[in-house]
This record gives sequence, C-alpha cells and structure tokens, in this order.
Amino acid sequence: MAVETAAKEVLRMEHITKQFGSVYANRDINFDVRAGEVHTLLGENGAGKSTLMNVLFGLYQPTAGDIYVRGQKVKIDSPSQAVKLGIGMVHQHFMLVEAMTVFENIILGDTRSKGIFIDQNARKKEIMELSQKYGLDADLDQPITELAVGAQQRVEILKALYRGCDVLVLDEPTAALTDQEAEGLFEIMHKLTGEGKSVIFISHKMREVLRISDRVTILRSGQTVETVNIGDVTGEELANKMIGRELKPSQYEKMESDGEAVAVLNHVSYHKNSKHNGLNDVSLTVRRGEVVGIAGVDGNGQSQLAMLLTGNISPEEGSMDLKGSRVARFDPNGFIQENVSHIPEDRNKAGLVGNMSVSDNLVLKTTKDPRFSDANGLHLKKKAIRNYALEMQKKFDIRCSSVDQEARNLSGGNQQKVILARELEASPDLLIAVHPTRGLDIGATRFIHDTVIAQRGSGCGVLLISADFDEILEVSDRILVMFEGKIMGEYSGKNPPIEEISLAMAGK
Amino acid sequence: MKNKGLGALIIVPVLSIIISFLIGCIIIAALGANPADAMRYLWKGAFGNVRNLGTTFSRSTPLIFTTLCACFAYRCGVFNLGGEGQFIIGSILACYIATKSPLTGVPAILLCAVAGAVGGGLWAALAGLLKVYRGQNEMIITIMLNYVATLLMGVVYTNWLRDGSVPQTVAVPDETQLPSFLGLRATIAFPIAILTGIVIFYFLFYTSSGFQLRAVGLNMTAAKVNGFNVKRYLLMSFIVSGAIAGLGGALELLGTQLRLINGFGAGYGFDGVAMALIASLHPLAGILVAIFFAALRVGSTTMQTATGVPTSVSDIIQALVIVFTVAGMAMVKLPEFKSRFARKAQKEA
Repeated sequence: MAVETAAKEVLRMEHITKQFGSVYANRDINFDVRAGEVHTLLGENGAGKSTLMNVLFGLYQPTAGDIYVRGQKVKIDSPSQAVKLGIGMVHQHFMLVEAMTVFENIILGDTRSKGIFIDQNARKKEIMELSQKYGLDADLDQPITELAVGAQQRVEILKALYRGCDVLVLDEPTAALTDQEAEGLFEIMHKLTGEGKSVIFISHKMREVLRISDRVTILRSGQTVETVNIGDVTGEELANKMIGRELKPSQYEKMESDGEAVAVLNHVSYHKNSKHNGLNDVSLTVRRGEVVGIAGVDGNGQSQLAMLLTGNISPEEGSMDLKGSRVARFDPNGFIQENVSHIPEDRNKAGLVGNMSVSDNLVLKTTKDPRFSDANGLHLKKKAIRNYALEMQKKFDIRCSSVDQEARNLSGGNQQKVILARELEASPDLLIAVHPTRGLDIGATRFIHDTVIAQRGSGCGVLLISADFDEILEVSDRILVMFEGKIMGEYSGKNPPIEEISLAMAGK
Repeated sequence: MKNKGLGALIIVPVLSIIISFLIGCIIIAALGANPADAMRYLWKGAFGNVRNLGTTFSRSTPLIFTTLCACFAYRCGVFNLGGEGQFIIGSILACYIATKSPLTGVPAILLCAVAGAVGGGLWAALAGLLKVYRGQNEMIITIMLNYVATLLMGVVYTNWLRDGSVPQTVAVPDETQLPSFLGLRATIAFPIAILTGIVIFYFLFYTSSGFQLRAVGLNMTAAKVNGFNVKRYLLMSFIVSGAIAGLGGALELLGTQLRLINGFGAGYGFDGVAMALIASLHPLAGILVAIFFAALRVGSTTMQTATGVPTSVSDIIQALVIVFTVAGMAMVKLPEFKSRFARKAQKEA
C-alpha cells in the first residue's frame, strides 16, 4: 500500500457540485486518480456516478468545484477538450459507426492528419502496435456489425488509447459482456495499469469490484461516502456503505397474506442467456392482499418479468397460472380481461397516448363498456365519458387545466395519476406496477403508495417492481431480489435484513 | 391547450392560403395583368354560375375520395401513398362490369361500386399484409403498386377492352352512367363522396373502433400494452382506405370519365395525400380542401380566357398552399416557437 500511496496523482476532482434545477446530482464530491490504478466508483442507480463522469468528460459543466489534471487546474468544456487532456471514455452504450470498419472507427474524429489523404498504412501500423501492447486484438478491416460485443468494446478502448488517453473511464463495462469476455477485459485493465495508465471503473457488481479495484470511492445520493483501499474492506462493508441505510419504520402495516394465489410463475425462462433482458428459471407467487416487491438494480430482467406478467411476451420455458388456471395464450388483451392491471415502466411510451386527451386516456380500455358507448361501441357517449373523467380528476387529484387537455402536457406525476385511475378503476385482481413513482415528487409518490396499499386492502395482489430500494422497503410485504434474470432470494417485508438484500442485489 | 392546438390547425392553412394568393397576385401583376380582375375571373370560373359550380363539384369528387383515403390510413399511422393505384383498380373493375356484364342501370352501378371498393381494398391489402406480417415499408410498396395498377390499366385499354383503333376502352353504356346531382354538371358521386366523409368522421370520432384506431395511430406501443389488436387495426386501415379510393375510381369512371384512357387517375393519389395533410387529417376539413383545390383548377381556365393569365399561375398557388401549410405545421411544432408562444401566453396571464 505504501507504494501505491506514493504513486503520482494524475487527476483530482475537488468539491464538485452539479445542480439540475433544485436537485443536486453531485454535491461536494472529492475524487482522485493515481497513475497505474483501477479506481472504482461504486453507487446505486442515481447516486451520481454518471453525472460525475459527464462532468469529467466535459459533457456537463459543474455548478461548483475544480478539476486538476496532473496538478494543473483545468476547465473541461467539451469532450474533445477532455480527450486532449488524456481522458478517454468508453460509454455503456458504444459510440461506434456500425457500418464502418474497426480502422475507420478508430481514426474517426482524429485531427492529426493535416492533409487531405490519410496515410492508411502508417496509421494501421500505429494501431497494431497499440493493440499488441495491451492485448487488444482486433481485425482492423472488419466492419463493426460483424463484431461481438466484447470485441466492440476492445475497439472503443483502442480508440481511446489511440487518441492518447492516460485515464480511461469504463462506464459499466461488464454490463453487456459474457463472463469470459469480462475476464478478458480484466486482463486488459491489468495491462493498462501495468503500463502506467489509470482506469476509472464504474460498476455496482460487488464481485468484480472486489476483484480488480485498487481503491473504491463510494457515492450515495450524490455525495462521497468514503474512499477506501480495497484491501481494507469486505464486500459486506462495501454494500453497506453503498446502500447506507438504517431501516426506517414503514408508514404501512406489513401483512402476511395467505389469500388465493392470483399469479404463479413456475420455472419461467425467457432469453435465458441474456443477463440484462432475460429471465432465468423464475418462480414466484403473488397472493391476494399482499404487495410483493421486486428489488434489484435496473436492467436485471425486471422489464421482462413485467411484460410476461401482463401478457406482452410469452415464456420460452415454464408456465404461468393466473387465478388458478394455466395461461394458454400470452396476449395483453386476454390478461386485461382476466382483470390484470398494469402500470407500465415507460408511462409516455406504453402507458398513455400522449396526443389524446386526459379523458380519452382514462377510458382507453373501456370504450366498449355500456357506460361509455351504446350498441357495443357503435356510438360513444361523449358526455358520459367527460363526466367520468371529471369524476376521476377529482378522485385521483389529477391536476390539469381541463380533462380535454392532451395527456402529454401533464406533469409526470399527473400522467401517472391518469394511468393509476384507469388501471385501478377496473378493480384489478392483480396489479403489476413498474417503477410507479420514478421521477415523481414526494407528494405524488405518497399518493401512489397510499393507493397501492388501498388496493392491497381490497384483495388485489400487487407486484411492485422498483429500482428504488426505499420504495421497496416502504410498501412491500415480501421482497424478492432479482439479479441477472434470476431470483436471488426472498425476504419478509417485516424487518427486512437490509445488508443481506443489498448483497443479493449486487449479485453475491 | 386543446383550443390552442386547434387554433394552429386552422390558422396555419388559412394563413398559407392568404399568403399563397398574395404571391399569386404579385406574379399576375408581374405578367402585366390586373390581379383583382384575375381573381374575380378565377372566382367566377369556379363558383360564378350553376354550370361552373357543377364543374367544380364534379372535379372535386375524385379528390375527395383520395383525400379521405389518405386521412383514414394516416389516422392509424399508416402511410398509404397508393391512393392512385387503388383508385385505378376500382375503375378497371367498374369498367369491366359496366361494359361486359349483362347488367345495366342501377344494379350495374351498385355492383360496380361494390367491386370498385373491394378491388381497391384488396389492392391496398397487399401492401398491408407485407407491412404487418413482413415489416416491409408501406410507402415504397404502395407507390410501386401504383405503377403496377397504371400499367395494368394500360393493358386493359390497349388490348383487352380496346375500342377500335384508339387506345381507349369502350364507353360505359348510357343507362349505366351515374345520374346527375340536382341537375348540376356533377353526378351523384359528389354527394356520395361527402356522405363517405361524414361516415368516416363518425367512425373515427364516435365509435369505439375508430377511437382505438386513432390510438393505434398515435401510439402503437401503448395501444398494444392496453390490449388492442394492433395488427388487425393496421390491416383494416389499409383495406378501408383502399376501398375508399377504389369506390372513388369506380364512380369517377361511371360518372365523368366513362372510359379508361391514358392518364386516367394520374396524380389523384398524391393530391389526396397533400390535401389530407392540409386538412390535418380531418375528414370533413378534407372535403372542403378538396373542393377548394378543384375550384382553383376549374376557375383558372376562365381566368386564362378572360385575362390571359396562364392557368399555371393557379398551379403555382396550389403548390404554394401545400408548401406553406406543411412548413407552417412543422414550424408550430418547433420547440423555439412553442416556448415563445408559451412565454407570450404567460405574459398575458
């Protein structure tokens, strides 16, 4: 450790604060990187990791704070400025031109050649040398589309190195990789640090973090918790620091339900080998009168779980029982007829028809209902629809200038209330709520939680999927943890073991 | 909010028309004629007497059908650019039935209308099936099907139904021709077109299926998640819009053209698309827009005879209306425009 602390500092970010409106994405963050180290940024979704890196890469200007590169105070106002300072970034979603070859992608945006023509051979030689030095094998003449994800990532790294980076930011680099590819990446990272380059590694997978970091800086709600040497901590300690919560007493009484099982999944798989968009042997039960919370970091199969439970996709293996009978056909309308309600993940894309009015959206599924039309939908009762909308507006406190206002002009909270009104007025037997309070203020969040709990009281089975751990703890009667498409464990919502759940969320 | 949006939908086309006419007047003045005179004769030619009014209605009839065809498809988010092909297929079938079948009179007319609609619908269904089940781009398919239909019509009038030495089909027999509408020069195809528009308006805005169809057109994902059969609606919108154009083709043949000939139906499909956009996809507004364009076309002949201003000035005005309306609609959607508008509204409030 003594040697490491003596190593030269290449980058220092001091008291970085970034505000968006009244929200602090980063607050007084201190972070430094030394030559030849892997420094991990660890934190939950929304802890401020990406914001901090976007500040470093010149995509955001910090509200306050300074950045020093090799001891010099610098102002980074664009990514090209960052590149000039030797900072390279590999984004989670690759920035490659798919139709072009590896070589073309690497020299893209390179400003070294002053002439009209590119000396291809000299360039290729240069790139080959780099690729050999760091073990980044790549076929320069292959188009990107033909490359596997791991190889595309190597191209991204090569591109950064070719532009002369000393500090390489890897934003969740293993997210899209297979285990083998991830191993390869770690080797490359070792070679890079061996040559004196530094790596900033962003991840929330505990196993990897413990394995390859030299130091770890933990961020929580936009602030630095601590920077530690990896030798000094255990995974448990890290997870605790990352989640950093005391169990707050919940507003709601936790129930243990032995009601009818409304939804049962039996060993369901869907795109099993995809860690982020699949389900792997998932079994679960939702009973009437309980809220089952699915905890987990975003993108571990939760979207697929929700789509499956609402009939939008069908499982490749396993089966589902809905209210005691086996589901034969997965189709959204069939599920709606079985009284399954759905608060979709993306309220604008899947929940609402933005260009239609609030009242139209409230009756979206029910225009054939005799309350709203005569002769099975042949004549809409506009007046009845409007009156119903006004009633819902009052009941769910939907704030809009008129129920004829287009739904897209409402605030997020009020849009969600429109969906809530539509879905809950159907008095569902099963409610699938996905990130129901994402982006909402405290008032709207509270309202939605109250409504969900009220549904539970009236005998509805609720499955709540959320990446917000606090929300899960607040309203769930039972908690299941998802990681890479699998259910990692089941915990009681009454006095839940926070540490254990945190570790399960990080895949340990 | 809704009122503001509606305001823009009316203000933009009206302003576009005014500006287009102003530019038209400048061109007329530059040609050395008196713009006021030219405009007066343009009006006279289109609406000045019963005869001219009839001609305008007659000219507007096929345009109304193709406009409604485009309106219907676009409401479901489907870009049917094949109105012309569907129109022609409808007229080919009508031509066969009118000239070859033993039927005459009303039964023949009814059969022609039904066959035209079915033929147009099936022609559009080709593109619909390829779109829905094979993911092919419907714009390209429908445009290509226009060529197929036009060339097919060519075979019909040069070979199969050729009338003697001239490359045209035999004429529809007198008793199968459409009767005149109120003694005007227009046939009953005109009120049928308007009735079709009213039915479509009712369907889109007053029935559950029309409501769901519009929801599919505005947000397909939400429609699917909320349990609508998206594929069925897409296919239905192709077939119905094709049927509207096909009906238009059949009636145009029986009422006005009476025989298939080179150039029959050309341009109607794209005219319909432009007019539907100017009408903001509203079927009733679409009828008005189609009549307006027909009036410009009919009136321009009188203008030319009386003042010497060439009819192409009318073409220029028509083109400008389209350009300005489309540009205007795009402009209102610009974030810059919107924020300025919002700020102004705030100040007033």
